[in-house]
This record gives sequence, structure tokens and C-alpha cells, in this order.
Amino acid sequence: MSRLATDHLSPRQKLALSVLACVLVAIVAAPLREVLDLANMAMLFLLVVLLVAVSLGRGPAVLASVFGVLLFDIFFVPPHFSLAVANLQYLITFAVMLATALITGHLTATLKEQAAEAERRERRTRALYETASRLAGALDVQQVREIVDGFVADELSGRCHLLLGDSPAAIRTAASGFSATLAEAVLSDGLRRSDQEAGQRIYLPLRAPMRARGVLVVDASKPPVEDELALLDALASLTAIAVERLHYVEVAQQSELQMVTERLRSSILSALSHDLRTPLTVLVGLADSIALAPAVPAPVLENAAALRDQAARLAGLVGNLLEMARLNAGSVTLRQEWQPLEEVVGSSLKLLGAALGRHRLHIDLAPDLPLLRFDAVLIERVLCNLLENAAKYSPAAGEIRLAAELAGDWVEISVSDEGPGFPDLIAEQLFGMFVRGSGESAMPGTGLGLAICRAIVDAHGGRIRIENLAGRGGRVVVALPRGEPPAVEEEA
Amino acid sequence: MSEQVPRVLVVEDEAQIRHFVRLALEAEGCAVSEAAGVADGLARAGADDPALVVLDLGLPDGDGVDFIRSFRAWSERPVLILSARTEESHKIDALDAGADDYLTKPFGVGELRARVRALMRRRQRQGGASPWLEFGNVRVDFARRQVTRDGEAIHLTPIEYRLLAMLLAHPGQVLTQRKLLAEIWGASYVESSHYLRVYVGHLRQKLEDDPTQPRHFLTETGVGYRFQPDA
Repeated sequence: MSRLATDHLSPRQKLALSVLACVLVAIVAAPLREVLDLANMAMLFLLVVLLVAVSLGRGPAVLASVFGVLLFDIFFVPPHFSLAVANLQYLITFAVMLATALITGHLTATLKEQAAEAERRERRTRALYETASRLAGALDVQQVREIVDGFVADELSGRCHLLLGDSPAAIRTAASGFSATLAEAVLSDGLRRSDQEAGQRIYLPLRAPMRARGVLVVDASKPPVEDELALLDALASLTAIAVERLHYVEVAQQSELQMVTERLRSSILSALSHDLRTPLTVLVGLADSIALAPAVPAPVLENAAALRDQAARLAGLVGNLLEMARLNAGSVTLRQEWQPLEEVVGSSLKLLGAALGRHRLHIDLAPDLPLLRFDAVLIERVLCNLLENAAKYSPAAGEIRLAAELAGDWVEISVSDEGPGFPDLIAEQLFGMFVRGSGESAMPGTGLGLAICRAIVDAHGGRIRIENLAGRGGRVVVALPRGEPPAVEEEA
Repeated sequence: MSEQVPRVLVVEDEAQIRHFVRLALEAEGCAVSEAAGVADGLARAGADDPALVVLDLGLPDGDGVDFIRSFRAWSERPVLILSARTEESHKIDALDAGADDYLTKPFGVGELRARVRALMRRRQRQGGASPWLEFGNVRVDFARRQVTRDGEAIHLTPIEYRLLAMLLAHPGQVLTQRKLLAEIWGASYVESSHYLRVYVGHLRQKLEDDPTQPRHFLTETGVGYRFQPDA
């Protein structure tokens, strides 16, 4: 109780209070001078010293000891109102009284200080513990900041700042307004540093089990002592663990979200693919079936054939759209295998079949082509799209040329036609989705073909470009990296 | 063989697709029974002992591959798969499980009839294997292990000959890369698909008129190869 009442007093006030206490005792005891024994008077002064030591601390207790002995001498030891002493025995009384007072005062003050210290430590430990449990429940970095800030304000009457970043570059960005050099040094070697220029500013590393997560900057109100530094170290380590925990929570949430999105996307795509293909399959099949009936008139057969062709074309478009969606969604895993280009050229030509019928086809594959590493299904799609485009824009009976040759570290595959070529200005844009050359509204198509080609070629680490030929016609060149094909052992 | 009308089982959940497949098969001279799911299909297959099964891979009550596994436990009759283009791995699973061929949706009735004919013919040919075979301008004499093209002897390495013999033994049938690699190079080569591709390339160079546009050794992109005999 006395602590609560006297803690806010200044040292000067405390000293004055101790003097006042001695004077008060002297005044109260003075009338009893004749009644009480001198020894009991001395006891009263010792009691005052004890009380002062308990309530006001060491300094006031020493003052009370000395001043008490002085007052005792002046007012109670004959001759009164004089420092002179009648009997020399009283000197021994004074010495014993002073010694007793000093020792009592010292012991009491020490005990009190220790109790106060223990209490303070306990309070800090409790605060640290509470902070730890609150940090363990923190849901985001902002909460961590608030909790740490609250702790530093309560315990050190200071402010603190959390600089998060696990790389030198990240910490430099985070340290705006602070010393980036110090923050970086603290992060790299994990040792706490104080900034002399900025007053009582201390940089503490946030060392978590996996890696350093950042730097805790504390602006203390006064230079922190040893055990306060220890407290700050403990705080920094708790903060680091909390920040790391949040980091992994975020990582886990991200990857779960990604997984769910991915699963949803691919299930939507496959459902869509199924739902779109089924009616198209029925359309193609039923149109074909008309011809199975006996004695169908020729115009009906023609209509059925036209119906079938349109349905087949629609199926092609749907295929392209779905392919683009899958490529865009990033859900395509390439099944890359080493294989001769010749094979996929052959399968593309077979797949296109009648679509190229009226054009002259010229295949020119260099004899020294190495094996290439690609996903045959996707590259087949690229070649089909390019050949289809060429056929679409070539004049009837024009030549379509498919060539492949080595060009340094690349193998260049080109499809040329004798059509009008590509409009210059938008050469690059043609690779965008739904972009089509100008004045082509009469031509069927969605403008997806080249975009798909580019997406597939990009996924293979290749390049695609379009060129206009000097005479007439355009050319699309697909370059695939040559890589290092595996050896094929010759037979013995 | 028997002059009985061959029975074909169509397992497909879309009624409209079943309908036109039935029309096509009947035009081919087959009797058709239908099923809409795996369980139904297996029951029907057990009852009818069909000469051929036309099977959709995506069925509502299970996977077509499961159907094939169960079916193969007691029947060697050919299975023709219907599937979407984007499902290469699914097709490979089905072929490895014992399916014989596949058609990619959407498919034409002409294609369907050709595949069905090829599979039926293979069935009839079983038992009476010929010691020689001709396709295009090539003649293969299995007894003497000789291959001639336009009457001229063609030299094949032992692996090339084995690959040729295996493809020829399954006319019109799709053989997956995995199957071919395991059979000819051994199980440790199943991931080394480039061997297979290089050797198929050799065969085409030696036996096809235009290796870039082969007529007999066809690539089933992403799946495997098929030997196409003369029509």
C-alpha cells in the first residue's frame, strides 16, 4: 500500500518526507520526555527509520537514520537543545543507534527492492507468456504487429516496428524510414544491434526455425538494461515463430486454393468437353446414317453430307476452343517425348485428310533432322492449324509447302502458302486470341488457330513468327529447341 | 466360319449415339444389343456372348476400362472403344487393359463400319494364320523371314523384323507404345519411346512409298501404332 502511495514521488520529495517523519516523531515524543525512558525514545526513532525504509527506500532511510540520531541528541539527550552530550556513554548510544538504524534501513530497503524486482520479473514473465499465447492465436501479420507493439509499450514504454522480409532485397524495401544497412546486417548474421544515431533504437533479428523472417526495431524510452535486452530477445524469437507460422498458413491456404481451383477448372472443362462433343457426335453420326437408308434421293444425300461437314467443322472449332481454355488455364501437362518430326507430320496430314485435297502439298524435311522433344498431340495440333490456315488462304490448286531444317540450336518448321500473305501491321497481333486478318469476314474461322499455336509452341520453349514471302504468299515458322537427343544404340 | 448373324453389344450411355451406331452396325449385317452402363453391359455380354463390343469409355456407373478388365477375364472377343480426343491416357489405359481399337468422337459412320469390318475379319482369320502376307508392294514371308518390295529383297535388322512381325500380327489393331516396347525391347525400355519411334521410322523408310505419308504403318498420335493392311 505504501508503495502505491509513494511510488510517484520524486527523490527530493521522498527525502523531505523522511525528514518530516523524523520531525513529527520528535514533536510527538517531546512532551513525553519526562515520562519515557531515553532507550524507548531511541526505539521510536528506529521505528521511523524502519517505516521510512519500507515506504520510501534506501536514501531516505539513511537520511532518517542520521537526522533521527541528530534530533535524539538535540531534543532528548541532556543537555537538551544542544549537540553537546553530558555523559560520554551517550556517544555509544548514538553509535549503536546509528548503526542499527542504518543496517535496519539497508536490509529493509534491500528486501523491498528484491521483492519489487521479483514482482517486476514475474510481471514481465507473465506479460511475455500472455504475449506468446496471443501471438500463437494471431490470424494475420497486422495482429502480430499490434500484439508486439502493445508489449513493448507496456514493458519498456517504447514503440516498435516489424520489418518483414527474408531476403536482403526484401528487408531493404521493408526498412524504409529505418537504417537499411543495419537491418540487412542484422538479418544476415542474426545478431542484435543498436543504432547510436537514432537514440535508443535497437534492431533485433527475427530468427525462426526455418530462416530469418525479418527485423524487429524497438525504440525504447531509456537505454535498456541487460534483462530488458533478454526480454526483447525472447520477444523477437516469439514474433519470428508467429510470423513463420503465418507464412506457412498462407502457403498452405494458397496451395489448397490453387488445387481446388485447378480441380474445378479441369472438371468444368471435361464436363463441357463431354457435353459439347456428345451432340456433335450424334449430329455427325445421324447425318451419316441418312445415307444408310435405301433409295434416298440425291438432294437429301447432299444435304446430309453438308450437315455432316458443318457438324465436323463445329467439332473442330469446339476442339480448338477447349484446347485454348486448357492451355490458358495452365492445366496442360506436356507429355514430351523424343521423336522424329517426320512422324507427327505424317499423322497431321492423315488427320487433315480431305481438307487439303484440292491443294498441292510439298513436304520438304531435311534429311539430317535430329530427334526433337515435344508433345506429339499438341504439335500435331499446331501443324494441323497451320496447314488448315494455309489451305484456307491459298488459291485452289495453290502449293502448300511444309519444310523443316536445322538452324543453329533450333529446328525450324515452316508452313508456306501462295495466298495473299499476312497484313503487315498486325503481324504480332495475329497471335492474339480471336484476332483475324482484316477483310476476312468471308472466311470461316474464330481467330483461335494461331493463338493456340503460339501457346503450344511457348509451352515447348519454342518460338513462332510469321513472314511474308517475296513473291506471293505467307509463311509461319515454328522454331523448336534442338536440345540433346538421347542416343539410340545401333543393333550389333 | 459360321454364317450366323454376328451379334454386337453397344455399351454407351447416350441413347442418340447408341441409335446411330445401331443403324451403322445393322447396315453392316450385325444384330445389335444395347446397354447403358458397365453393370448392364457386363450382364448383357455374359448373356449374349457378342462377337464384338462397342464401348464408350465415359459411362455413368463406372469406367469403361473396368468393363474391359472384367470382360477380358472370360472373353477374347474384340472391343472397340469410343472416346473423346483429349483423353489419350485414358485410351492407352483401355488399350493396355485389352481393348483392340478406338474411335475418337465425333466419328463418321463410314469410319465406324470400316473399323468394325476390320475387327470382324481379324476374328475370322484367327486359327488359319498364313505363312506369308502382302501389303502395298511388299511381301513378307514369315517362314523364311524374308521381306521383298517389288520383288527385291529388303534387309531388315533383327529388331526391325520383330517389330514388323508384331505389327503384322495385329492388322488394323492399335498397339500402344508401352506394349510394343515391352514386347520387343523388354520391360526396362517402356519409358524409352524414342527407340520405338526411330525403328518405326526405319520400317517406313524401307517399306513405305512415302515415309512422311505412310499408308500401312500408321501413327496413333500419343497412343501407339497401327498396321493397316490393304483395304
